[in-house]
Amino acid sequence: MIGPVDIEVIRNALTAAAAEMDVTIWRTSRSTIVRELLDYSTAVFDANGWNLAQSARIPGHLNSMSAALRTLLTEYVDAEAWGPDDVVITNDPYCGGQHLPDIIAYRPVFHEGKRIAYVGALCHHIDVGGLAAGSYAATTTEIFQEGLRIPPVKLIENGKRNDGVWAMIRQNIRKPDLLLGDLTSQIASLEVGRQALLRLATRYGADGMTEAAARILDQSEAGMRAAIAAMPDGTYEFTDVLDDDGVDLGKTINIAVTLTIKGDEAVADLSACSAQSKGPVNATLASSNSAVMYALMCASGGGFAMNAGCYRPISVIAPAGLVVNAQAPAPVAHRVAVTHRLLNAMFGALHQAVPDRIPAAYYGNSYVCTFQTIKADAKRDVLVEIEIGGSGGTPTKDGVNAYASGMHNNSNIPIEMIENQMPLTITRYELQPDSGGAGEHRGGLGLLREWRVNSPHCLFTANMDRFQSQPYGLAGGEPAAPGHLLLIRDGKETPIPPKSDNKPLVEGDRVRLVTSGGGGFGKPAARPAEAQARDRAMGYVTG
Amino acid sequence: MTEDTRPVRIAVDIGGTFTDLQIYDARRGQVVAWKTPTTPADPSDGLLTGVKEASEKFGFALSDVGLLLHGTTIATNAVLERKLARGVLLTTAGFEDVLEITRHFRRDLYALAPDPFPCLIARDMRLGVTERLYADGSVETPLALDGLMDKLRALKPEAIAICLLHAYANPAHERALRDAVAAEFPGLPISLSSEISPEIREYERTSTTVLNAVLMPVVSAYMTKLQARLSQGEFRPRVFLVQSNGGVCSPQTAGEQPARLLLSGPSGGALAASRLAEELGKPNLVAVDMGGTSYDVSVVQDNAVSIITQGEIDGLPVRLPMVEMRTIGAGGGSLARVRDGGRLTVGPESAGARPGPVSYGRGGTEPTVTDANLSTGRLDAEFFLGGAMKLDMPATGRAMAGLGEKLGLSADQTAEGILTLTNAALAAAVRLSLFEKGLHPKDFALLSFGGAGGLHATEVADEMGMTEVVFPQNPGTLSAYGIMFSDLKQDIARSRLLALHEAALPALTELIGELRDEADAALARDGVAPAARELLVSADMRYHGQAFELLVPWGDITAPTAADLAALATRFHAQHKQRFSYSAEDEVVELVTIRVTATGRLPRPEPAPVVPSTGTALKGKRRVFTGDTWQEAGVWDRDSIAGTDTITGPAIIEEAFATHFIAPGWTARLGTAGAIIAVREAV
Repeated sequence: MIGPVDIEVIRNALTAAAAEMDVTIWRTSRSTIVRELLDYSTAVFDANGWNLAQSARIPGHLNSMSAALRTLLTEYVDAEAWGPDDVVITNDPYCGGQHLPDIIAYRPVFHEGKRIAYVGALCHHIDVGGLAAGSYAATTTEIFQEGLRIPPVKLIENGKRNDGVWAMIRQNIRKPDLLLGDLTSQIASLEVGRQALLRLATRYGADGMTEAAARILDQSEAGMRAAIAAMPDGTYEFTDVLDDDGVDLGKTINIAVTLTIKGDEAVADLSACSAQSKGPVNATLASSNSAVMYALMCASGGGFAMNAGCYRPISVIAPAGLVVNAQAPAPVAHRVAVTHRLLNAMFGALHQAVPDRIPAAYYGNSYVCTFQTIKADAKRDVLVEIEIGGSGGTPTKDGVNAYASGMHNNSNIPIEMIENQMPLTITRYELQPDSGGAGEHRGGLGLLREWRVNSPHCLFTANMDRFQSQPYGLAGGEPAAPGHLLLIRDGKETPIPPKSDNKPLVEGDRVRLVTSGGGGFGKPAARPAEAQARDRAMGYVTG
Repeated sequence: MTEDTRPVRIAVDIGGTFTDLQIYDARRGQVVAWKTPTTPADPSDGLLTGVKEASEKFGFALSDVGLLLHGTTIATNAVLERKLARGVLLTTAGFEDVLEITRHFRRDLYALAPDPFPCLIARDMRLGVTERLYADGSVETPLALDGLMDKLRALKPEAIAICLLHAYANPAHERALRDAVAAEFPGLPISLSSEISPEIREYERTSTTVLNAVLMPVVSAYMTKLQARLSQGEFRPRVFLVQSNGGVCSPQTAGEQPARLLLSGPSGGALAASRLAEELGKPNLVAVDMGGTSYDVSVVQDNAVSIITQGEIDGLPVRLPMVEMRTIGAGGGSLARVRDGGRLTVGPESAGARPGPVSYGRGGTEPTVTDANLSTGRLDAEFFLGGAMKLDMPATGRAMAGLGEKLGLSADQTAEGILTLTNAALAAAVRLSLFEKGLHPKDFALLSFGGAGGLHATEVADEMGMTEVVFPQNPGTLSAYGIMFSDLKQDIARSRLLALHEAALPALTELIGELRDEADAALARDGVAPAARELLVSADMRYHGQAFELLVPWGDITAPTAADLAALATRFHAQHKQRFSYSAEDEVVELVTIRVTATGRLPRPEPAPVVPSTGTALKGKRRVFTGDTWQEAGVWDRDSIAGTDTITGPAIIEEAFATHFIAPGWTARLGTAGAIIAVREAV
């Protein structure tokens, strides 16, 4: 019999296992996108594939990895033939993945002959081939242009590398040493997680682990239900927009949420969203679900563990063929734009239900850009940057300047690391004054980052949003400023379209990105004089 | 050491509230303890007072003291309480906001109203400097000072941090800038990133440099006063300061690199814990040290504490070697307050030593954790510090009632509420320290020390499901006890990227030679005789492409051979496999940083023999408020407890510098090495 203290101990140990896996990837990985930008996640699942514990990394990954594993188990991999020394990987968005750069790896854990859990690790890899370096092309119209598509396959079988798969990957990508090094880290983290689970299983037994897993999920479900029940019943609507899909330029994409809270359950109806895009601004249903789940998990106020138990009282209605439930072979590289905006829309709806806790919009966008420098010997170096902006003002506080918010949670890449590895110089990296929305609680500021090319040839790719639409304010707060992307050549500034593929740059060119802040909360007139004076003294607000 | 025949050695640990001393007199072969209130305005006042008191009490002359080993939390407390110098950051123009942008990923994924990351120098105090280096250290834009000094003067700086991009590769611009600033502002403390933390990654380096700079005036003022005082009169010991790495350094080093002291007091505690783990035969301990202002948790596993090369204080990265330690701002002096919405909170603000808790009668009006312990009968107003300091019970009662009114609670309930909140926070810190390593509390005993630790230990253990608590001898001065056994320790490191290959041998021999000479000279400067010096080489290593290194010990290497190199490689692969579950023998291994740890062994005192107890152990009874009711509790005199005594909770154990609360459900007995061991009855 497992007592309440044991449950607490096991829950914490599972979280510690996910964190140990996290550290393994962080410390051993090779590419800057994984080891510095921290675009990866690790998690522990029960014997049926439900998420039990997560590392503190990327919400968009964490709350979709369970769905991906469930899809594998129900449609692609025979669980009975998935042995303890087999690692299955995939990056296929139409087999449970998210977008092609994200390769997910899973391994089952057995104790006393029983499967007691799975461990999983997802890395956003620096490049998986395709039209543009970084595999984040902005103007594709089918997934075949986006890079190598790996169906669910055993990368390791009975403890041995599947050399054919390994070679297939190596041949199709721009930076094989980095990708395969990171993949090795992923596999190592699975082993670290497996060992941690076995230590626990030795103490509590296979049945104890199964019982604990069930109760951990039940407890979180109960917590989530109580949190939803505490929200007023009703139907709350909100629509936000994406600028365009990079192909049909200027045609906005609607992300519309009708959220119904009834008793202890919530339903998000996304039927009024735009049809799936021609360009890569599309999300699969698994991606969209993660945004809905994440919004409600935040709004719950917490106090319980975040895991798949939280998903149970929440359902999503999203007909196939919409931008939030894209169908093959639609391109999906920039799926995160859809989920960011869906989260913005969910928060807009939730503000009507629980106005005391929902912040104004954060910047709502992953500012992805890629520099591929090409040397005389044709050797390619790739830098994938993902910039962030400011968080939204809240009912009680100002938003935070330069704060990784919402669906992603990346770090920046140290300037000194980039310059050690690439013929690039970062010429400015600053907070952007006046980029936060005014309000009683001001939105946090966005950033300015400027790169200079030091190599004769460079191809620049950008995949960004929020250049037309602005992060909204709430309760009378002002929206935040939109972003800018400029080329500075021979002293002359010209705009670069925020969704651009393989724009040629030459030595001396500078690219300047300015990101959005967060929206303001409450009327600007209500902002205390001393807060306004401090804004000016610090140069957060000019004029 | 140069021959010093003076027989007395004193270890002193200056905490936020109390100054703890341990005195070893070679003529008696015995370690004794003393304690006196900390004097925050000038902590050396309290130190000297304590030494004088001890000399009278224990009968040694001040001129007998040859060595003063000094641990201090002044640097730590200055950061936690933000009592720092007014600092200005000079950095490469265009990068003034690096310090505020931080690494910008969030720790709490689901929080809706996050706080900004801490930032010690505000935006209007950060100035850009015209200059730029490339990654290889070559100059892109030469240093230009146009108008900088005028801007600097207008900011009225008390300390300057200089952190320029790529200064780890070439310190020339930082040094030129320092010279220029020093010429204009003579005597102004200046810290260079290329000196305190010459490693890649601009944010972490800037953070470390800024911490160092804003601490310099605080710490060096203290060092100056201390040395002035120790160069007159009869009390003229050689002084060494305890660093975060578990060793000691000279006052000059401490004044120039105060960031190395950030975890120095707790570092003594961790050393004491590892020593006690051996003495008690309990290799797995969670050591918790609770004093007036902070609660430090360290984990001893298999008798050893671990060292890490980067840590954090209050969310601020510090990239220096340190004993692994979790610190939260909770102590006896933590203030209890009622905030918006009627929430009772405890800390992080502390009443410190002045005004201190209400009960100290020094002008404090807001109740603290110590006051709550007094109100609930855990502390005795007449027997605080063994009766040396009277506590003001009526004033404490009034303050507690005042706080309770805002909450709709009685004074007793308010006091117990403060303790409940405190214990939960302490337990959370312990839990994290264990679980982040995948360790289980049931495999550990809680080692309680610090002046306030014993009042909370059994209840914290209850929260954790731990069943054993150890109360060592002299718990109030245990950090000082650890310091007593420390050695001089200097870490000297230099980054040079080399592929691990025989071709690197000449370069390695040269580099190791330089570092060894430097380390040897440092020990010589501190008066360590050649026979007492120990130099150990280690290397930060990684697979090509990785960004983080493993610290691999290499031993007493001078001129490495091919065989030494092969042994190092083997050790690296094995360590990588143990830590991360795999190794890659066919890949290129890189040496990134070579480190020499120079230890100057100080003579070791013998541990104090345990004196058999005499007298009546059960002094009497008093009422304690626990479980929402007043209960009768036995009051025991620690020094008289014999092996035959059984102490059943609720009970109070009093000794000169600490009071322990044995909660209901716990039973305590005398164990080995004079420690009291409390065990939870099976529930």
